[in-house]
Amino acid sequence: MPLLSTVGIEGVIPFGALFRYLHYYAAQFTFLFLFWHTTEALWARSYQRRHFFHWFLLTSTYPLTILALFTGYIVRGDETGLSAGRIAENLILTLPFFGKILNRLFFAVSEEGIHRAYITHIFLSFVLFFLLGIWHFRLRKIKLEDLSLWATGALALSLLWPPPLEAPHFQTSLKGPWFFLGIQELLRYLPPFGAGIIFPLIPIILLVFFPRAPKRAGWGLLLWHLFYFALLGRGLLR
Amino acid sequence: MKRLVLLFGIGLLLVALVKEGLRKRASQVPVTTSGQVEMCLSCHQERPEKVHSREVIGCSPCHGGDPLRIDKHLAHRGLIKNPADLRVVDYTCGAPSCHPEMPERVKKSLMATNRGIINTLRRYWGEIPENPRFREEDDVAVLLNEKSVSSLALDYFRKLCGSCHLWFEKGKFPDFLGEKGGGCVACHLVPGPKEAKHPRLTRKIPIQNCVRCHNRSGRIGLTYQGLYEDEGYGTPYIEGDFGEPFLVDGRFVREIPADVHFKAGLVCIDCHLAEETMGDGKAYTHFEESVEIECVTCHGGDGTTRKGRKVSGVKKQGNQLVFITKIDAKVLPLKAPDALKCRHKVHRRLSCQACHASRVPQCFGCHVRRDPRQTQLDKISGQETPGAWEEFRSYQRLEEPTLGLKGDKIVILVPG
Repeated sequence: MPLLSTVGIEGVIPFGALFRYLHYYAAQFTFLFLFWHTTEALWARSYQRRHFFHWFLLTSTYPLTILALFTGYIVRGDETGLSAGRIAENLILTLPFFGKILNRLFFAVSEEGIHRAYITHIFLSFVLFFLLGIWHFRLRKIKLEDLSLWATGALALSLLWPPPLEAPHFQTSLKGPWFFLGIQELLRYLPPFGAGIIFPLIPIILLVFFPRAPKRAGWGLLLWHLFYFALLGRGLLR
Repeated sequence: MKRLVLLFGIGLLLVALVKEGLRKRASQVPVTTSGQVEMCLSCHQERPEKVHSREVIGCSPCHGGDPLRIDKHLAHRGLIKNPADLRVVDYTCGAPSCHPEMPERVKKSLMATNRGIINTLRRYWGEIPENPRFREEDDVAVLLNEKSVSSLALDYFRKLCGSCHLWFEKGKFPDFLGEKGGGCVACHLVPGPKEAKHPRLTRKIPIQNCVRCHNRSGRIGLTYQGLYEDEGYGTPYIEGDFGEPFLVDGRFVREIPADVHFKAGLVCIDCHLAEETMGDGKAYTHFEESVEIECVTCHGGDGTTRKGRKVSGVKKQGNQLVFITKIDAKVLPLKAPDALKCRHKVHRRLSCQACHASRVPQCFGCHVRRDPRQTQLDKISGQETPGAWEEFRSYQRLEEPTLGLKGDKIVILVPG
């Protein structure tokens, strides 16, 4: 029972809650900084200095980081996590041919509970950490002072706002992870394949092929994100 | 600047260490038999009755809060003191896995709407047409959302009648009012053993729970038990104290012969069906429409009410119909009406009460006064608002009732 472990970490193990909270906020920072870093890289036209294959590898880490973050929500096994897992599974199964394979690879929540999502989470997190670490540390050494600064931020947030853990009772509506709320909102208006597969695929394709048509891809990304943030805001206000 | 932030970080780390040292931790994660994590159980020792036992249900399905947290301020977020309150009952008692059909039924019942009282009051005071048709707005739930009081009758209702309905918040008002209302628990709650630290919920509703409200107007709850609301002042005084017992609201009562059913051990819920008390899903205006039990349901009948429902206490033992009481499972023989007296054609229009209600408390000269200079507690909104009502009566008697006609039937007429 995964929730038992999550609650045990938080309520029974010494320092468990603190480390869980730090882990949560560190993960949010990772995603937000990756978003910022990608925007910055596009703005600085760093793709011009990269081989397309390298650019493709780098941009593919963007959806993989989101997947690592998303599976982090699933593995805590609470109401949000389990529902997010089921929704993700059903969305990916709408993908023709590859749907079943990808589901077996990343989620398979209905068959294995959170087991597969847990492996995905651990494996992806470490692979991303090491691969991106090797890549970036070759280019630039990050100062311990800077890292401590963000650790302080994570610590302050942990002490002030313990991250969510949703109990199963009194739920009349359930909200997914905050970054997923835009898709959750769009699912009200579009079929699952459109809202859950095609729509999130658009920015990834635009990002990968950004070097080929920077202006059009840039506008595309901007409009997509404006639309997504509007959906996100609507979802948050529900 | 960075150094300052780092110093702040070190300070925060120290705070985190101290906080962790002071933090209460559970020795294990408590799980109910239904598989729900209930961290509440690691601190709380309260023991409700068996059917809602802590090991099976835990605390949070009823009382909300966050069962996944051990820190008090997080665990107690969204805590509900009284889960049976009609404002929250859809998510608590009425949750899909518990009693999902009940909240809607109860909210439509007359004990929740008070529609009969509101409708009659407004009709008598000339605020609505004489035709007693069903009016959806005659409902306590509607009054709860009303921003301003729109009529004198409603102002009167809010101040003098507004504590006898199921929407009334238990424990919100002082003294005896604090015991009233509370949704489901207005009826279903009884005190638990001291060591349980939790009251008990029961289906065996004691008469005291009903009489908490049903003690005015017809005063049926009092008369049934053999109590008569006296006009006296507790006299004669005995050894410096009142010579008469008194009710929680200070009214003096005198002991009179109790109803024969009370003497036999029957309480209100022995006769009155769940569909009458908790509603049958339909919205009625008056209690005559809701009440379906009649004397002849058990006495001469086979326990089937006028709406075709069975009274659960009526059973067949051998060739005889008996009544089994709900509280203590006492088996009582059921007597059929006297064939000669009751079935005789000259008595065919008489209601049972016309002969069998030998004494009825009657309140004459009822009148009310409103003093606009004073304020009084509006029991619906919980606010002190301008205008204080006072009730008066000329005199009260315990007498043979006057007989009169209601349709074709001869019934007793009782001024309340």
